[in-house]
Amino acid sequence: MKPNKFVNLIGGLATAFALPLILLIIIPFVRQSDSVPIHYPEGQEIEGGVVAYPDATLYRFGSSDFGAQVYAAEGCAYCHTQVIRPTYAGPDMWRPGWGGREEDGLARETQPLDYSLEEIAPLGYQRIGQDLSNVGHRITTRELMHQHLLNPKDIDPDSGMPAYKHLYRKSPFGKGWDPTPKAEALVDYLLSLKKDQPLPEVASTGG
Amino acid sequence: MTLPELTPEEIEERVTIDRSTRYPVMFFFTSAAAWLLVATLLGFISSLKLRLPGLWDDFSVLGYGRLFPAHLNALVYGWGMQAGVGVILWLMARLTRTQLSNRAGILVVGHIWNAGVTFAVLTVLIGYGNSLPLLDFPKWVWPFLSISYLLIVVGIIPMFCKRRESLVYVSEMYLIGAALWFPWIFITANIIIGKGTAPVMASGVGAWYITNLIYFWMAPVAIAVAYYIVPKIAGRPIYSHPLAQASFWLLAFLAGWTGFSRFMGGPFPAWMPAVSGAATIFILLAVLTTFFNLMATLKGCSKLWELSPSLRFTAFGMLMLALYAVLAAFSSTYSFGRDIQFSHFLVGLDTLAIYGFFSMTLFGAIYFIVPRITGAEWPSGKRIRTHFWYSTYGIITLVVSMLIGGIAQGGNLAQWDQTFSTSFVNSAAYVVGRALAWAMISFSNLSFLYQLTLMFIGKGRKSEGPTLIHANPGEAGSAKIAAGLQE
Repeated sequence: MKPNKFVNLIGGLATAFALPLILLIIIPFVRQSDSVPIHYPEGQEIEGGVVAYPDATLYRFGSSDFGAQVYAAEGCAYCHTQVIRPTYAGPDMWRPGWGGREEDGLARETQPLDYSLEEIAPLGYQRIGQDLSNVGHRITTRELMHQHLLNPKDIDPDSGMPAYKHLYRKSPFGKGWDPTPKAEALVDYLLSLKKDQPLPEVASTGG
Repeated sequence: MTLPELTPEEIEERVTIDRSTRYPVMFFFTSAAAWLLVATLLGFISSLKLRLPGLWDDFSVLGYGRLFPAHLNALVYGWGMQAGVGVILWLMARLTRTQLSNRAGILVVGHIWNAGVTFAVLTVLIGYGNSLPLLDFPKWVWPFLSISYLLIVVGIIPMFCKRRESLVYVSEMYLIGAALWFPWIFITANIIIGKGTAPVMASGVGAWYITNLIYFWMAPVAIAVAYYIVPKIAGRPIYSHPLAQASFWLLAFLAGWTGFSRFMGGPFPAWMPAVSGAATIFILLAVLTTFFNLMATLKGCSKLWELSPSLRFTAFGMLMLALYAVLAAFSSTYSFGRDIQFSHFLVGLDTLAIYGFFSMTLFGAIYFIVPRITGAEWPSGKRIRTHFWYSTYGIITLVVSMLIGGIAQGGNLAQWDQTFSTSFVNSAAYVVGRALAWAMISFSNLSFLYQLTLMFIGKGRKSEGPTLIHANPGEAGSAKIAAGLQE
């Protein structure tokens, strides 16, 4: 085969791949890596001295970061999404508690910066279980969250969730189960899952 | 139109080339088939676990969130990619008419690859995964896979450059494409995920990787096999060479844009799912053209379906490819896709791609290649029939129950005023279909692995005629004569 014919083929294959690689992957990746928190404008203060969106300290606490790893390792994202779609794509926001605190008017679809504390945003593969974007608003106590992990059928008899007994140890005193550090971290993470920080009102540039 | 007669020297040359590929290719095929059995069993257990969540609660390893990704990894990297590499090696040797050199090196690389797959499956099972389908192994695993794959590619390119024929076959273009594109998507995806600076893009790249793996690697390898086997068995050239080339370039320029339509309304700029959806729909043109081209090549040879196992598997695989492209395009449209997003439909689609078209086509290739490189015939046509029908029943059961179950589940998910668990309870029956399907596929692959092992250890049937599906061994000298096509 003539060398230039081979070069043409390889060149064509490379071009076919490089176009989407640059336009669809590299540029959005770089732009997202460079994104910075947006400061709230004057007059739109929110409680707790939060000055910008997203704020790292607003919801995260304890060993949430380790909990995120447990969440990933147990494969939670294979059954639970963390995506609230805008109403044109699905009625996610209409389900009670899914989109955030309705009573405060904060329910909204998820935004890219909501995931800025994750290493990989657990958007999810399937929705066999409930969406967990705002589970921290629906289940608010540690006890209830532990019960959910240890015995989901106690809370909803129709639940399809397995019991995560391997994250707990039989208590040496009496009955009951003691959470391992993994379970505590996972509960920290789940309680911190709230994706409804108010968005800054971006001033219109006119034009 | 019939093909010119081969001279004895040419036949001798072919035999030499075939024998040169024997050990590496058989190594890849046999370990792939072993992984396939593991993967299908994991598929069965994980589906069962999805239906009966309380099963084996005390064992961390047996959670659905660990079994399912382990199943996917074993299925794609263990079975699919190894079988694909074996086919690429043999097909490139045949098409370029060069002997496979550096066989010992390829065997070493094959062992590294298998080590990589073992690490990938085990790390996910014991709890070091990251929940991204097919990319969920820890960061230190992917160099094993990419380096061993790259070493194989480095071995293929010189074969292509040394080729003595001036004509480039369509199959060769597809194979070169598949060989070069896979490391590129694999390394890109792993680097972006490993960086950890753009969490949402990492997840988006995960979806992009899966559809790219399907359209940039599985489809090209499967189509290359079909463009080789269909004309060979039908005994006539491809219906239209320009059409084949045009659909190749169409696929090449569109495949890289797919993937993001899995997150319609997700936290991405709206143009990204839209572009991906459009690309998936336009790919339909390339796939349907290819399908038409192959069927036109086969026109009037339908009797061969009854006899040749290679043709039967390959033709069925191509039918499934067309079905996959149609369903993928449907699920990329905004009006249909938004309702089935995140439902069982997605699993049905992915499995249709991995098992329905890719694996079935590769079985066709393996049934064609192995007798030629080992110099023996398949022991039993009946076992081939078992393999074909149980695989077919299995994949059809799986796809139908997942697609219909997905539509039903999507409908329940959209009923926001019902309790959430309705969607789980109502789709439970379809999950039973999925478990049954994997059981059937497991069973079919038991007979495949058994026959392949016999061939591997040199216990194949020594005979003049090929093993046909509907004839007693040795009864018909050649499939074509039996079908009354030639002479």
